[in-house]
Amino acid sequence: MNIKFKNNGLRYSLFKTHFKMKHLLLIILVLILNVQNNLYANSSSNELTISINNKDQEKTINGIVTDENGLPLPGASIIEKGTLNGVVTDFNGNFSIKVANQNAIIEISFIGYKTQLVKASVASFKIQLLPDTTTLDEIVLIGYGSANRKDVTGSVVSISEKNMNEGAVTSPLQLISGKAAGVNITQTGSEPGSSPSVRIRGISSLIGGNDPLVVVDGIQGNMDLLNQIPPSEIISIDILKDASATAVYGSRGAPGVIIVSTKKNKVGRSTVEYIASSAIDFIPKKLDMLNANQWWEQAQLVGVPASANHGSNTDWYNILTRSGLTQNHTLAFGGGTDKFSYRASISAILQDGVVINSNNKKYIGRIQATQSALDDKLKLTFNLNSGITETKSSVQSIGRAAFTSNLISNAYVMRPTDPVFNSDGSYYTDPNVFQYLNPYAVSQTVTNEGQYDNLFGSLKADLELTKGLTVGWFGSWRKTNNTNGFYLPAVSTSSYAIDQNGYANINTNKQNEKLTNVSLTYKEIFGDHSINALVLYEWQNQTYQGNYAQARGFLNDIATYNALQLGDLSKVVPGDLSSYKNDRTLVSFLGRVNYSFLNKYLVTASLRRDGSSVFGANNKWGSFPSASVAWQIDQEPFMKNQKIFNHLKLRGGYGETGNQQGLYPQNSISLVGGAGVTYFGGSQITNFNVTQNANEDLRWETKKQTNVGVDFALLDNKLKGSIDVYTSTTDDLLFDYTVPQPPFPYGTIKANVGSILNEGIEIGLGYDLIKSDNTTLTLAGNVSFIRNEVLNLSGSINGVPLNTDYVSWGPNSYLIEGQPIGTFNILHHTGKDGVNSETVLDVDDNGIIDQGNESPDRLINGSALPTYTFAFNPTFQHKNLDVSMLWRGSGGNKIYNSIRSTLSYLENIGKSNVLESAVPLGLFNSKYGSDLWLEDGSFIRLENVTVGYNFNLENVKYIESVRLSFTGNNLLLITDYSGIDPELNLSGGNGFGGDNGIYPRTRSFSLGLNVKFK
Amino acid sequence: MKIKNILIIGSLSFLLLLGCTNIDEHVYDKYSADEFYGSAEGADVALASVYAQIGGNWGGVGYAGADNGWYDMNAMCADEQVIPHRNTGDWQLDFARLYKHEWLPTDYIIGNTWNWLYKSIYNANLAVDQLVSSNAEVSKIAEAKVLRAFFYYLLMDDYGNVPFYTENNITVDKIPQANRAEIYQFVLSELTENVENLSASKGGNYYGRFNKWAGYTLLAKVYLNAEVYTGTAKWQEALEACNKVSEGGFSLHSGAVDANNPLGYKYYELFGDVLPEDETILAMFASANVVSRNIFTVRSLNGPHAQELFGFSGWNGTIVPSDFFLKYDDNDIRKKQFLIGEQPGGTTYTLEVSSLDNPGAAPQAGVRNMKFYPVTPMDGGGASNDFPIYRYADVLLMKAECNVRLNKAGDAKPFLDEVRQRAGLDRLAGNPTLNDIYNERGFELNWEGHRRQDMIRFDKFLLPNNFRGNSENYRKLFPIPTSALDANPGLVQNPGY
Repeated sequence: MNIKFKNNGLRYSLFKTHFKMKHLLLIILVLILNVQNNLYANSSSNELTISINNKDQEKTINGIVTDENGLPLPGASIIEKGTLNGVVTDFNGNFSIKVANQNAIIEISFIGYKTQLVKASVASFKIQLLPDTTTLDEIVLIGYGSANRKDVTGSVVSISEKNMNEGAVTSPLQLISGKAAGVNITQTGSEPGSSPSVRIRGISSLIGGNDPLVVVDGIQGNMDLLNQIPPSEIISIDILKDASATAVYGSRGAPGVIIVSTKKNKVGRSTVEYIASSAIDFIPKKLDMLNANQWWEQAQLVGVPASANHGSNTDWYNILTRSGLTQNHTLAFGGGTDKFSYRASISAILQDGVVINSNNKKYIGRIQATQSALDDKLKLTFNLNSGITETKSSVQSIGRAAFTSNLISNAYVMRPTDPVFNSDGSYYTDPNVFQYLNPYAVSQTVTNEGQYDNLFGSLKADLELTKGLTVGWFGSWRKTNNTNGFYLPAVSTSSYAIDQNGYANINTNKQNEKLTNVSLTYKEIFGDHSINALVLYEWQNQTYQGNYAQARGFLNDIATYNALQLGDLSKVVPGDLSSYKNDRTLVSFLGRVNYSFLNKYLVTASLRRDGSSVFGANNKWGSFPSASVAWQIDQEPFMKNQKIFNHLKLRGGYGETGNQQGLYPQNSISLVGGAGVTYFGGSQITNFNVTQNANEDLRWETKKQTNVGVDFALLDNKLKGSIDVYTSTTDDLLFDYTVPQPPFPYGTIKANVGSILNEGIEIGLGYDLIKSDNTTLTLAGNVSFIRNEVLNLSGSINGVPLNTDYVSWGPNSYLIEGQPIGTFNILHHTGKDGVNSETVLDVDDNGIIDQGNESPDRLINGSALPTYTFAFNPTFQHKNLDVSMLWRGSGGNKIYNSIRSTLSYLENIGKSNVLESAVPLGLFNSKYGSDLWLEDGSFIRLENVTVGYNFNLENVKYIESVRLSFTGNNLLLITDYSGIDPELNLSGGNGFGGDNGIYPRTRSFSLGLNVKFK
Repeated sequence: MKIKNILIIGSLSFLLLLGCTNIDEHVYDKYSADEFYGSAEGADVALASVYAQIGGNWGGVGYAGADNGWYDMNAMCADEQVIPHRNTGDWQLDFARLYKHEWLPTDYIIGNTWNWLYKSIYNANLAVDQLVSSNAEVSKIAEAKVLRAFFYYLLMDDYGNVPFYTENNITVDKIPQANRAEIYQFVLSELTENVENLSASKGGNYYGRFNKWAGYTLLAKVYLNAEVYTGTAKWQEALEACNKVSEGGFSLHSGAVDANNPLGYKYYELFGDVLPEDETILAMFASANVVSRNIFTVRSLNGPHAQELFGFSGWNGTIVPSDFFLKYDDNDIRKKQFLIGEQPGGTTYTLEVSSLDNPGAAPQAGVRNMKFYPVTPMDGGGASNDFPIYRYADVLLMKAECNVRLNKAGDAKPFLDEVRQRAGLDRLAGNPTLNDIYNERGFELNWEGHRRQDMIRFDKFLLPNNFRGNSENYRKLFPIPTSALDANPGLVQNPGY
């Protein structure tokens, strides 16, 4: 029997021994757990001395185990130390154990709590276990199963609820920001509803996708699945980093895997819990622009006529921004018996953004139920999760011909002397500025809203066929429905809207994802050998469907986008109507064996074979093997007498994983699609075109990764940590390779040719500076270094040479063989000429400044990819008070500050405002994008400071506990970067590494409340 | 026993599921290329899609009407128009580089035009292939082949030695870089073999298509520039091709005063909505935002000026260099297309532009042009004026040129005078010189995409202008774009680049 059991951030499955107990579900013990508990918690154990009863006689001990709040703790394990003899506490926390004699030592443990050792001396006693905030997490999820931390052979990080970030958290990723080495979570701006991006061990793919696979309670999905889960309902997040761990996910595993477990009801307990937080958000930094007087003074110097000065004094940025508000509310409750338990919750995440008229409201309801049957041989787990998100966004891309960015960044280019309104109350515009845009008018008149509905459900059934052999079935269905409506009226001042007399569109996108798998699991211990084997078949299908409609020419703005038929239908043009449908199917077979000998030597091997519909007819199937080993050195006899290491484990593994999610269906075949309208035979007819260069050989890109790591605990368990070194190569790199025109109709073809290297080292450490019963001070931190290199982008397919190099990948950044992704290859600023136009270095001295991608005048100057990231996370606890702090940073990268260049050329001043710094710079214009705008992207951020207090309310009726916390987010930013925030798009995809204006990154102060009712 | 049963059932159901391994790709929203083009309708559609390549649109995909493509590359390197960078920060420098003969192989427009031409040839190859294999009418096959010849002619005219292929299913190593003379020969033989098979119909179903007369005009153009392409002149052959065109019954459209025309003369109907059949030989159809577009006026006019005239803002882009503008006679009705001085909307255009790039032109500097006076549907993204690829005035001027070059200046005079008189000018006093013809071609055909070719043929292309000194001989060819050289290292760059 395999029982999944949840408590305080940890989930584990145990080997079974049968105990018949009246009230409670049966829990099984293993030696492994015993050993492990010794490893991590001895130092903090309280040894109670109890008087001796009778020396050599068998003895029965009766007791009760309670948690930190004095409530019974069911399911705690009671073991007679050094034996296999053990029981678990029942529903009321009671236990009864027979031990050999009164000298026996009883070990009381519960995952997430400090283990206590008690001498078998008194007949009955009450033991209170206290939460252990410092142990390494003990049970980790490894994909299609779980393992004890000490048995893990790959590189896996687990973060349990108690170690997660607090505050106004709106996305699950914010919970674990800075918590794991090599897991870089980047938040660009604080637009309501926007989520951070996450990169595990850097960028290993160009177009295949670098977003990790997300698995929530067994349901697999892309990153958007994470947004369907309320952060407050997450109990743990496990991250599979290296390929030996992710290979079980085969062709979806290459970018890493994030496994999320949600809270389940503790067996036999009733809970009612209310969790809330409320935050005020501020804009900590703005760009320093000229005010009205300064602007006019400078404008006159470059001969701007007085007609361009409209005499106002407007702080455009200020009128478009405000203080934001973020609220989270979760009400959760649950209950159950020994056979049945459930948990239900309803959450609301409400954000009002710092830019006016931007907000996001998310509501999520969940229910989860488990049921045992057939004498506990069958276990059913059911999950149902439904969410609604309503968003009002500021416009993401709008502006004049000369400057397009998000709405708020348009405030920068506004002359401070321009009024917001004309004297008649209409929005001000200036016809002398091409495509003038009044951003305040846009914010007040544009409708830009979205509704995102989602639903997913799953059922898991595990049936124990015979001892050690379990057959499992899992099925999940996930649906999302995303509708966006947009209306840009002529009063918005947008020139396009004026031309069209307003236009409106509705965009609907649906996803339908089905997954089912069947597995057989066999677990057994034969003396010194322990084996855990899995075979699995999995089928998944994802269907994407959507439509788009647009109308223009509205008599008035009343109906916005809600009635497209009210537009001028004679103005319908190609592109106003479209729809699509496509799907993908993935079929997989997986086998995995975990073998352990003497609990010292551990081997894991897996093989997954995947077949996917999206690949070319010639390459539908791929195999993804992995193998890893670990050695528990501290278990060796020669380690017995040393005092330095409490724990020492060496790990090594190799795996191959694939990548396909970034590849869209129908990429491999030659297709004909609509291409607008053409005029032929005296009338306008639909035009058709071959849509792409077909490639029947299209296949997976394969990431081959080798990882060596060591886990250790030393100095009396005070210093714990792990170090991992890895190298990974992505071969058969998916990319849009350059092909010659002629004969190809398009300049690129999706193919598998190049390769990318990533290698790095990751160190995670925690040191208990103070560790006593009442007080702990732990200094934790992690650092990772990564080196990325584009090894190769050229080759051939079917005899066609592909010569791909110096591919533009962002503003002045490129893919260049032998260099990291996003390498800046840029002209070098030398000064300015007699008319204050920028001059740059003519490297080859031929009198021509060539701005081509491979120009000899360009010089390599760093990369957009950070080479190191780090976090420092001290936590302090004294009795009921806790304080934690998170510093986080990264560096080694450069940022091309495009918006600074736009806002620095004085030739623009007649039409736009400029930065204060533009005045001393004195640059009139430039023909180039030079390294003058290239800046160091390193930063250190004080991301989170939380002070919390747990009120012990044993004697209060109805209330079990109350926690109050106060969190400050983004309190301090140390950087040389001159823009508003150096944390920009680091996704590694095309276009990263530049700053063209972002939604402000907020500083927030939040108050959190967590009440548990009796 | 019980456990055994469970085991057996479990294993069986497991194996059953293993059978489900179907991972065929389903296509719901597109057609398979082979099936689609294999049908008769598909073959017709393939021919239509070649014409779709001619219609201009954003991103430089088209012959004329929009920006950053073949038209801008061939027009801005001549003497008739340029978009200066403005000292208020507007407009990129690509156009100034073209005008100053400082373009680089990496320039966007140069690669863009190349890619457009080869995409067109790909479509034309496909059309020829499908029409032949579906046994289509001879005239349709001829039409597809003439279209392909048209694109090869444009390629050779701009780039010289270019890769040559006529079958799409081929690898790049099988595609030689043919020299200019070889492409010339191919174009010539395709035209001479197929033009006679083209339909003689004008207008209606054949509006905007290569009929026989458009085919002969193209042939005349190829012969006219034969000396440039091969070193051997073919004036007589060019003249004969022009005479063939005349068999189509063309005449010059009226130049009469017309109060209803915004520019005052019927002449400007040649650049309006549906181009008149009497003079137009080959038109490019445009209906803004649906098929193609015509941005030439809105791109030229200042914002508030266009706002006042048409209700949408102008782009304040293209200007006509003062030396070109000043050559026009004040009585020339064709001078009405230009705008200088005070305009509605508080705009005043001045004659001279002091700088094209650094620090750039003053906002209202430069003469503007509204030859393509916008017709509806229109908006800030362009109007629906069709574009004359070939018209009879051009043929008359070609006839005149051939005659002068064949030392029959007397025979040339009536053709030239016909064009002049329609424009409200007097007959030439004496027999025309080559210079007269060169200038008249400028007056008549400005902004129609012919100027670079004419300037090269008349040896005017390298002469200095207000913004540069003498240009170098290698500028008579555009460079093979860097992107094409990178993708196909077998290509050899044109000399000088």
